[in-house]
Amino acid sequence: MEYNRKIAVIIPAFNEEKSIGEVVQGIKNLGRDFDAIVINDNSTDRTAEVARLAGAIVIELPCNLGIGGAVQTGYKFATQRGYDACIQVDGDGQHPTEQIPRLIQTLFDEGYDMVIGSRFVTDREYEISFMRLLGIKILSFFLRITTGMDIKDTTSGFRAINRRVMDFFALEYPQDYPEPESLVFAHKKGLRVKEIPTRMSGRMYGKSSITPVLSAYYMVKVMLAMFIDLFKK
Amino acid sequence: MLHMQIIIGLISIGFFIVTFEFIRKRYLREEYAILWLLTSLAIAILSLWPGLIDIISRITGFYYITAILIVIFVFLIAILMHYSIVISRIKDINKELVQRYALLEYKIKELEEKNKPK
Repeated sequence: MEYNRKIAVIIPAFNEEKSIGEVVQGIKNLGRDFDAIVINDNSTDRTAEVARLAGAIVIELPCNLGIGGAVQTGYKFATQRGYDACIQVDGDGQHPTEQIPRLIQTLFDEGYDMVIGSRFVTDREYEISFMRLLGIKILSFFLRITTGMDIKDTTSGFRAINRRVMDFFALEYPQDYPEPESLVFAHKKGLRVKEIPTRMSGRMYGKSSITPVLSAYYMVKVMLAMFIDLFKK
Repeated sequence: MLHMQIIIGLISIGFFIVTFEFIRKRYLREEYAILWLLTSLAIAILSLWPGLIDIISRITGFYYITAILIVIFVFLIAILMHYSIVISRIKDINKELVQRYALLEYKIKELEEKNKPK
């Protein structure tokens, strides 16, 4: 794929020293169009060092902002540096880097504003827990009745956006539950959003930040935040 | 009645001194302290002029202690809401600063790298 466009691969990372090197390497293998930009969210381990050695641009936050603040830093950087598109990839290795060109291709060729890599495709490697699946289904249903959007995997952080959305997100990006909430933002801005299935692997290392015990409480908070977003000025 | 007046008067003086001390030691900014100074002033006025309570009761129709408690409760809720708003704003400003700091730091490192004597 040769577009001669600059694409920023934004990797928010908090204590991912074990997996970040491999993720950055995977992006380097994609070619010159792609720059790996690691936003180190004040990790206490060697995340920044490992990422730098692997050849990434590393931006270090002096305090922990959480994923929303970290990703937005990446959008601000990419906007200032004149990138044509951004793609967000998790630092834990659950998003397969070789799928990045597919998302970008859909974004440019089919003229979407946002393309989401969804994890709903049969894959023996990736087994999703029942609670998580239920939560994702409920969120998806909630999004459909409130906005009419048809997105199955609302919490997927594997997503590509074009320049127009970058400009918007650099100024305003949800901080609390960025993945589902930014979909509501997108709806309100009238953006064209497309979801495509991607093969994902389970997290290479570490645990998901969402534990089953807290997921019910999490769901209520997310839906409340999404509902309020609908009415935000 | 006199006893109560003295006690309330002492409370208001104590409150005023504490607030003043906090401003002097810069724990509190004047902007937020005005509320507390006015509160101590209101308590002081009530202790010096107990008849005021009667006048307020007649105007508002609040005769019962529960009604007064509700007023106090609403006042406290309003203060808490005020602080939530202040904290949210500070968090937002903090986020913006952290992001800008990180981006500037990267830019400085980049420039240093470029200007290194070869």
